Amino acid sequence: MRGVLGFLAPKLLRALVAVWLVTTVVFVVMRLSGDPVPLLLPPDAPTSEMERVRRELGLDRPLPVQYLTFVGNALRGDFGRSIHFREPAWSVVVRYLPATLELGLTSFGLALVVAVPIGMLSAIKRNSPIDQAAMGVALVGQSAPTFFLGIFFILTLSLWAGWFPTSGRGSWQHLMLPAITLGAFSMASIARLTRSAVLDVLRQDFVRTARAKGLPELTVVMKHTFKNAALPVVTITGLHFGTLLGGAVVTETVFAWPGIGRLAIQSIYNRDYPIVQCTVFLSAILFIVLNFAIDLLYGVLDPRVRPR
Amino acid sequence: MSQLTRRDLLKSSAALGAAAALSPALGGTAAAQTTQKKELITAQGGDISKLDPHYSTSSNDIRVSFNIYDNLTARHPDGKLNPALATEWKLTAPTTWTFKLRSGVKFHNGDPFSSADAKFSIERTYDPNAKTMVATALATIDRIEAPDAGTLIIHTKKPDPLLPARLAFYGGQIVPKKYVESVGNDGFNAKPVGTGPVKLGSWTKDDKLVLEANDAYWGGKPDFDRWTMRPIPETAPRIASLLKGEVDIITQLPADQGERVAGNATTRVVGALYAGLYVLAVNSKRPPLDNPLIKQALSLAIDREAIVKELWRGRGIVPSQPIAKGDNHWDASLPALPYKPGAARDLLKKAGYKNEEIIIETTVAYLSNDKQMSEAIQGMWKDAGINAKVEVIEYSVRAQKNREKSFKGVFWSDPTSTLGDPDGMMWRLLGPGGPQDYWRHPKWDELGNAARFSVDEKFRAQAYKEMTTIFFEHFPWLPVIQPYEDYGLQKYVEFGPNPNQQFEVRKFNLKFKRA
Repeated sequence: MRGVLGFLAPKLLRALVAVWLVTTVVFVVMRLSGDPVPLLLPPDAPTSEMERVRRELGLDRPLPVQYLTFVGNALRGDFGRSIHFREPAWSVVVRYLPATLELGLTSFGLALVVAVPIGMLSAIKRNSPIDQAAMGVALVGQSAPTFFLGIFFILTLSLWAGWFPTSGRGSWQHLMLPAITLGAFSMASIARLTRSAVLDVLRQDFVRTARAKGLPELTVVMKHTFKNAALPVVTITGLHFGTLLGGAVVTETVFAWPGIGRLAIQSIYNRDYPIVQCTVFLSAILFIVLNFAIDLLYGVLDPRVRPR
Repeated sequence: MSQLTRRDLLKSSAALGAAAALSPALGGTAAAQTTQKKELITAQGGDISKLDPHYSTSSNDIRVSFNIYDNLTARHPDGKLNPALATEWKLTAPTTWTFKLRSGVKFHNGDPFSSADAKFSIERTYDPNAKTMVATALATIDRIEAPDAGTLIIHTKKPDPLLPARLAFYGGQIVPKKYVESVGNDGFNAKPVGTGPVKLGSWTKDDKLVLEANDAYWGGKPDFDRWTMRPIPETAPRIASLLKGEVDIITQLPADQGERVAGNATTRVVGALYAGLYVLAVNSKRPPLDNPLIKQALSLAIDREAIVKELWRGRGIVPSQPIAKGDNHWDASLPALPYKPGAARDLLKKAGYKNEEIIIETTVAYLSNDKQMSEAIQGMWKDAGINAKVEVIEYSVRAQKNREKSFKGVFWSDPTSTLGDPDGMMWRLLGPGGPQDYWRHPKWDELGNAARFSVDEKFRAQAYKEMTTIFFEHFPWLPVIQPYEDYGLQKYVEFGPNPNQQFEVRKFNLKFKRA
């Protein structure tokens, strides 16, 4: 028991420091880089009017005071009221979260289901046309900018082929293009990583032994090779899952997907401090929870990292 | 063997067309020039932020809020002021406007509309406790009387010839007194009630806003049962959704995309000449821009024809004055602003220009083509011997600089003519204390002030003529283009767009062609 605590406690502490740092940096950068008030008022509003709204929003107070108020409220779970929506920031962000989770989980699922078998197949059939085709496509998937890919899919698969709606959220058809676009990068890099991890393991002595003792190739690959190749794949996959949730900004904007990535980017433009802080906080927490989960999964997969 | 004849082919394609018309969900078929649709779907660049009309002036919000609510007066697509909740109005004393209100109008919740609601709504805009974002929109008002349910008397602090025009724009939307007072401001923003042609159905932020037609609308039920507004932020997907037939109307169609929409078999483009101008506003306090000769040279060195033709594909006109075409007192006798690089060079020499850097601060796509126009103008100025530099700034930084009046040289602005009159455009922005107060001229100020408070249109016309002459000497703005505001439509939609930021979907300007 003490072992588990010793394993978790430093990680937890680090996580808390990370959340504090991230929110503080965002707090300062947002306030130094722009002002929400001119965006709220008509362009011809006089200075007195600007000052009034600044006072009402508490933006006239010194920065340290604003910061302490923010930290104090955040500790009690209060992220303030959205300047743009005139609602509590937390309730706005929470409303956008399901869309992002839906998209992130789907593209993650797609990436895994497609990438891992392809990576394995590529490794086993190394240098075959299948391998070369798969890795070629993966290279494109990894290097094409998300924005370009999104527009490309809309033009080809939606506008010309007519298979999917161009944008928006609703049916499963609405989900497919953004999920593929968002997952493309992860799909490609997971496939490439799986391939090289499996290749590494295939060169090991125990694989040769397994083959030598006459085990069927399927057993060699599934039982002996894959389990050993899984560790790096799990690491990168876990990290990608975080990127999928956080990196949905471009995809959500291109496909008019009502998720927190798009909310965050709009709130940055509007200098809607409470919303930005809240989304960043939430993303940071998600990342940290994911990292925890990966650490724990290591223990399951690799006895050597288990706390003794 | 069955032989397909040309006639059969024609027949089958006609059948396909009919099928497409009968099942609009399929859409997109080349023959879909009519529809049976009862739902209007539109897409715009961003979601609305608030449904309470007194808490926002953003163009995305206004497109919707002007349809949920009515104003006392209304500016229609023809640019004229028309009756709305007020049926007639007249100046009964130099500082007194009397409005006769429409009878028998009901709010969406069934409450009858009366002068008490109008008084409450207008007073709410500048009530310090209501903390609205339109506190200055109707600030010329001194007090309001509601002697009976159908009459509203507004006393202004000084004579205000433009009060009826002011009431047609933001701040002037009428909200129900009883309801707002009972549910409070937040409650009202969440469940708004107006008298307009549509009422709120449901709203999923950044996904879709569903509005239901108001069957009992005094101006007639709009030509649909339901209106869904979808925010699609990127231009390319917004256009794709139109081409594919998923939406009926898209707003903010860039000029260079018009051919794509017009060239498609099922879609077309309509536009309205923008009620305003795109100008490079000048910080005339910063040398060398404090020298009028230099500003004259800057204006002469802009090839506006080329900008209209190349960057806007002809979707705009070259301005001739600081007053937008279509406004009161626009002078038809003035020629388009000339391009004379040679004359510009001479002026620069005369002004003793020493190659000082002139900075063009631009956002990217905050105004259509802003960055492209900046780069083009930088090139034109360079050709005339002016050392110009383009600096890109973010939208909210621009807003902040606007507030602090800290622009370094020239910067883009799209002065909207809120009142259909120079007072609501050049005087509002360039006047003393206005947001673009970088230049003062005693005579110009005197004329602008006199015109604001005069109810004599002849006098006002003369004042604006003289102000224009002074303007041409000092160029506090470098007017560049008066563009068209374009919309993409399905061919089965007939739609007359408004020249300002309003987006009306009323019976008189929106109709589906039905088979």
